[in-house]
Amino acid sequence: MRAVRYVAINVFRESIRDRVPYNLVLFAVLLIGSSYLLGQLTAGQDVKIIKDLGLAATSVFGLFIAIFIGIGLVSKEVEKRSIYALLSKPVSRSQFIAGKYSGLVLTLAVNVAVMTVALYAVLAYMSWTESAQFKAGWERPAADPALLKALLLIFLELMLVTAIAVFFSTFSSPILSAAMTFGLYVAGHFNADLRNFDKVVDSKSAATLARVVYHVLPDFAAFDIKTQVVHGIPVPAMYLGATIGYGLAYIGALLLVATFIFSRRDFK
Amino acid sequence: MSPAIDIDNLAKDYAVGFWRRRPYRALDRLTLTIEPGEVFGFLGPNGAGKTTTLKLLMQLIYPTSGRATILGRPVGDLAVRQRIGYLPENPSFYEYLTAEELLTYFAQLFGFSPADRRKRIATLLDRVGIGRERRFQLRRFSKGMVQRVGIAQALLNDPEVIFLDEPMSGLDPLGRRDVRALILELRDQGRTVFFSSHILADAEALCSRVAVVAAGRLAAQGRLADLTEFTVRGWELVVANLSAAALERVRPATSRVIEISPGRYSLELSLAQPADRILAELVATGASVVSLNPLRETLEDFFVQRVNAVGQGSRTEHEAVDARR
Amino acid sequence: MTQPARGVHPLVAVAAAAFLGLAILLQVVRDRSVPADVFVQRLLYVRSPQVLDRVVLGFDALAADVYWIRAIQHYGGDRLDVSGRVRKYQLLYPLLDIATSLDPYFNIAYRFGAIFLSEAYPGGAGRPDLAVNLLRKGIATQPGKWEYYHDIAFINYWQLRDTQAAAEWFRRAAQQPNAPNWLMPVAAAMLTEGADRTSARFIWRQMLDADQEWLRNRAQRGLQQIDGLDQIDQLEQIVASVPHRSGEPYSWLEVIRAGRLRGIPLDPSRTPYVIDPQTGRVSVSDQSALFPMPETKK
Repeated sequence: MRAVRYVAINVFRESIRDRVPYNLVLFAVLLIGSSYLLGQLTAGQDVKIIKDLGLAATSVFGLFIAIFIGIGLVSKEVEKRSIYALLSKPVSRSQFIAGKYSGLVLTLAVNVAVMTVALYAVLAYMSWTESAQFKAGWERPAADPALLKALLLIFLELMLVTAIAVFFSTFSSPILSAAMTFGLYVAGHFNADLRNFDKVVDSKSAATLARVVYHVLPDFAAFDIKTQVVHGIPVPAMYLGATIGYGLAYIGALLLVATFIFSRRDFK
Repeated sequence: MSPAIDIDNLAKDYAVGFWRRRPYRALDRLTLTIEPGEVFGFLGPNGAGKTTTLKLLMQLIYPTSGRATILGRPVGDLAVRQRIGYLPENPSFYEYLTAEELLTYFAQLFGFSPADRRKRIATLLDRVGIGRERRFQLRRFSKGMVQRVGIAQALLNDPEVIFLDEPMSGLDPLGRRDVRALILELRDQGRTVFFSSHILADAEALCSRVAVVAAGRLAAQGRLADLTEFTVRGWELVVANLSAAALERVRPATSRVIEISPGRYSLELSLAQPADRILAELVATGASVVSLNPLRETLEDFFVQRVNAVGQGSRTEHEAVDARR
Repeated sequence: MTQPARGVHPLVAVAAAAFLGLAILLQVVRDRSVPADVFVQRLLYVRSPQVLDRVVLGFDALAADVYWIRAIQHYGGDRLDVSGRVRKYQLLYPLLDIATSLDPYFNIAYRFGAIFLSEAYPGGAGRPDLAVNLLRKGIATQPGKWEYYHDIAFINYWQLRDTQAAAEWFRRAAQQPNAPNWLMPVAAAMLTEGADRTSARFIWRQMLDADQEWLRNRAQRGLQQIDGLDQIDQLEQIVASVPHRSGEPYSWLEVIRAGRLRGIPLDPSRTPYVIDPQTGRVSVSDQSALFPMPETKK
């Protein structure tokens, strides 16, 4: 386990030296700038829009980091051959994969955490500068703790995207990995449509096929509770629990297959 | 005493061709044993299978058939990695780390305490001749400096067996001399050194035993002294103040004439020639003798001869392999 | 366990499959327990077609398709809902509106909306006004499409009971390029005889040739409804001709005993007609596929 830890720390260090944290600056600028501009617009809507924007930006920025670093995590080391010296040390190929994955997840965790703090700070400020009478009309408080539920699922979603990227990275070139990871992300978001196929399609086999595809594709649509959280629609604990469990199990499956593939490779 | 490295019929095929029907045999049933404390030279021309063998020993690639053990354990055993060191050919590490950070990272993987780590790293970097640069990122290092860092990381854990793939590559003569001294030091400490090279002079200077591979096959192995027969095949005569006339008179008897500087020549005489009589004649013309040395068969001659023999043999063997399929 | 020659133990692959199985199991459990309403709101997170158009970044037609599929599924889902909740197909108009805004040439969407937005509940949303809105939007984009005028005309005729307006729309339909030549006579018939079954039959029969199956089905049902209306008229005459003691409830048995019918009459969808015990009026059962019946004069 020591090996996993140190490989992970090294991934984190590399992300810092690759200037990943600058995206946080961009995020902060985006959020603060928008809140100021929107403050001049229609009253009441600006808090909702900042929430929407903050959640969406956290998701999008995180997605880019997950994909663009994730696809290179394994393939870059193999291509540059820095893996030769590394694997002569007491670290197995499985520990290598686990360490690389954990390192990127750590990077993403820090990223999401900082963005969460920034978002709440901006919302708290907006709340503080607003009149009490006005605030009474809000559906939900500005600095609403319920947002954390959405952010948690966003983080889990990013973990899943990372696992997919790492999986492809064990056997595929960076460009192909990026395309396939992104493709699965988009497809997974339309999963909700596949689920209801059987209601309206006559052909039994088509409905069954849609069902199978629905279950096999990563169900990214389910991680998106941004709307509910912003409108104050309650999200059942059962839903959260089952979705988190789903994510973790799917990630486990992906990493195991990635380990399986990677452990059999010849490094030419 | 059990061998440090035991290689038994190790073979590696690569699938080539679009339909993958024609395997390319990069290593053909290599069998070798390396005893503890030896400095073993693994020699061969480029593409002979040296790096393939080392990668098989490090389990970077998997064998098609055969097995190998290191310190009695099968290759890939995690515990054994604690006791070995490896320098890849033309190594590349992490550009964004400094030399110190790289060694720290590897030392962490070995599980050394922070104090122990610091001490080892400082000592090793001094030993391989990296000074202030140890704080710079590796992206700023020259090829020679990366090679030195590579040697340092291979020795980080005081390994019992050290594997070096072309350790001299990228080094200037001073660097090469340092590495030679280092290898001898390791031998004196009782460690086993297995290094591959295509530079025979290094092998001659360092090794107790060698193996020669060519086209994936073992061409010869054994103690250095046993392999190169001490046959004298001729003489080298260096003379000064040789007049042009005298030179022309003696030229037919020579197999080779090299002008070192005006009046100073190196003459090669075959065994058939009466060397002492020619010597006396030259002295009589007024030339002075600088040196007279026997020419022995060198490792290079042996090497070239054996590699060519494999080349002849491999053609017929490949035909046999095809026929069998 | 012996170490395999290459890589990690093959059981790892089995474990991976097990994890995937677990994931799918959790997914199924979650889907079963959470009501679908949680997602209904999400379908229309973006209500504004203009915003969506920008967000979709050039994949308009594809997004239009997605919304079209969602519209059908929404209709189907509500239609087949047996939970007893009254479903009004609330999202049908917005979904079709978005689909046609993203892709203004999306003909099927307009025509689907024409039928199922205007039709009374439970067959449709019962909002002929929204149907007309949608079709007007279609006309604005493609002024020459006679089908859209025809559909508006039919809605005016069948649901809104405005035969003047219907006639006007039929006339305008007839003036569009490639319009079939039976539109003018129908317009004329509208003006002279008012709402009548012959014209309605005629229009439904035209629709039997449509290339969309659901259009054909709707036309088939329409024809059956008109046949039903005729049958009801005949049945009421028969009932009236049977001697009946006042105070007694009306029933089919009475009619059958009187020898005027051989059995309980079935409507064109093979469901028995219902006779009101108090008034003796005959109507289609509310379990019938033809329910609710349109009202027309003869």
